[in-house]
Amino acid sequence: MARPSRAEAGDPQVRLDAAAALRATAAFAVALGIWFTFAAPYERTLAAAAEVLIRAFERPAVTSLATSAGEIRVERADFPPDSPRPGLPAADLHFNFALLAALFALSPRPLRSANFGRFWIAAALLWLVHVAALVFQVESVYATRMGPWSQEHYGPVARNVWAAGFHFYQILGRFAAPFVLWWGVGRVGERQPETPGRKRVKGA
Amino acid sequence: MKDEPKTPAKTGAGANSPPRGAANRRSAFFLIRFVVLLVVFYAIVASHPVNDAVIVPFTSAIARVSAVILNVLGEQVTVNGTEIRSSRFAVAIENGCNGVETALLFGAAVLAFPAPWRRRLLGLLFGFVAIQIINLVRVVSLFLVGVHRPALFGTSHTILWQSIVVLCGVLLFLLWAAREARARQRQGVAVEETNRGAPKPR
Repeated sequence: MARPSRAEAGDPQVRLDAAAALRATAAFAVALGIWFTFAAPYERTLAAAAEVLIRAFERPAVTSLATSAGEIRVERADFPPDSPRPGLPAADLHFNFALLAALFALSPRPLRSANFGRFWIAAALLWLVHVAALVFQVESVYATRMGPWSQEHYGPVARNVWAAGFHFYQILGRFAAPFVLWWGVGRVGERQPETPGRKRVKGA
Repeated sequence: MKDEPKTPAKTGAGANSPPRGAANRRSAFFLIRFVVLLVVFYAIVASHPVNDAVIVPFTSAIARVSAVILNVLGEQVTVNGTEIRSSRFAVAIENGCNGVETALLFGAAVLAFPAPWRRRLLGLLFGFVAIQIINLVRVVSLFLVGVHRPALFGTSHTILWQSIVVLCGVLLFLLWAAREARARQRQGVAVEETNRGAPKPR
């Protein structure tokens, strides 16, 4: 197993041993429990924030997002009343919270207040990532899934940007985001202090 | 003649530690390289020609190997392209379930990390094989969950196994990076000791 390193910046600075694996597994399980418990209210906050962002760039502002049973339902004021509403699976969007928790638990003292504080900062940043992903998801539905309406309202560049943006999140982004946040925010306090240099003996 | 210092100012690992500012810069550069590489990898694998010529045949190979394992375990399964089917359950392995996304994350991290190319390539090779083995366990176990506990399949597939495979990929990278850091440390210490042992010009 790897020993901790304090050599160079950019080094992982974590001790990967059985205890770390156990901490990560336990944190993953606890985070999954929290995630299952609070998924519904969390999705409501995502829907509300994404709705504000989408409507800010809509003329007229017609989109509203509602959550129900693990789905985010897209409502538009200009949809025919009897047409089906697109429902977007919400779990795919934000289950990476558990991954973030597992990575933060790799720290030798995960419950130390500094580590805990950094975890919540990273979680808040992850919330922003989730909101952005939801905006991309809704816009990609508008840009590619609504037949002639999509063609009429979205040009080829816009269609590709929204669709590729969300596809990137689905394939790589949702897994990369916790790692990037942990690496960028979580490891700051893990760097061990440099070995203090002793005074050089001056020449006689 | 000047006295040689009795104790070196810095020894071992600490001697190689750069200042905090440099540490943060290198960390930031690692993240930038990592994200840029991810975008490049995504652009490559998401293109239709690469998907059709590489990803789909690779996914079919995973389906065939998984089917061999499942048949050894007593499930009577057949394979059609990327689909594994038995009389009780069928599953299609799609992009996102073939371990390629985790391999790309791992590859981007290894390539973004400062290390000699030979060790990077070795890391990529071993990491890719390890990730694919873990992914085979995932595909086989998900099929068994689908057969025996179909109600749990959705959660196991979307949340549990995806996270576990990615977490394993990240841990593999951290193991490789820590090993790489130690090798660099040893190199730094060896250079320092060589310098200390060398005769000093008068």
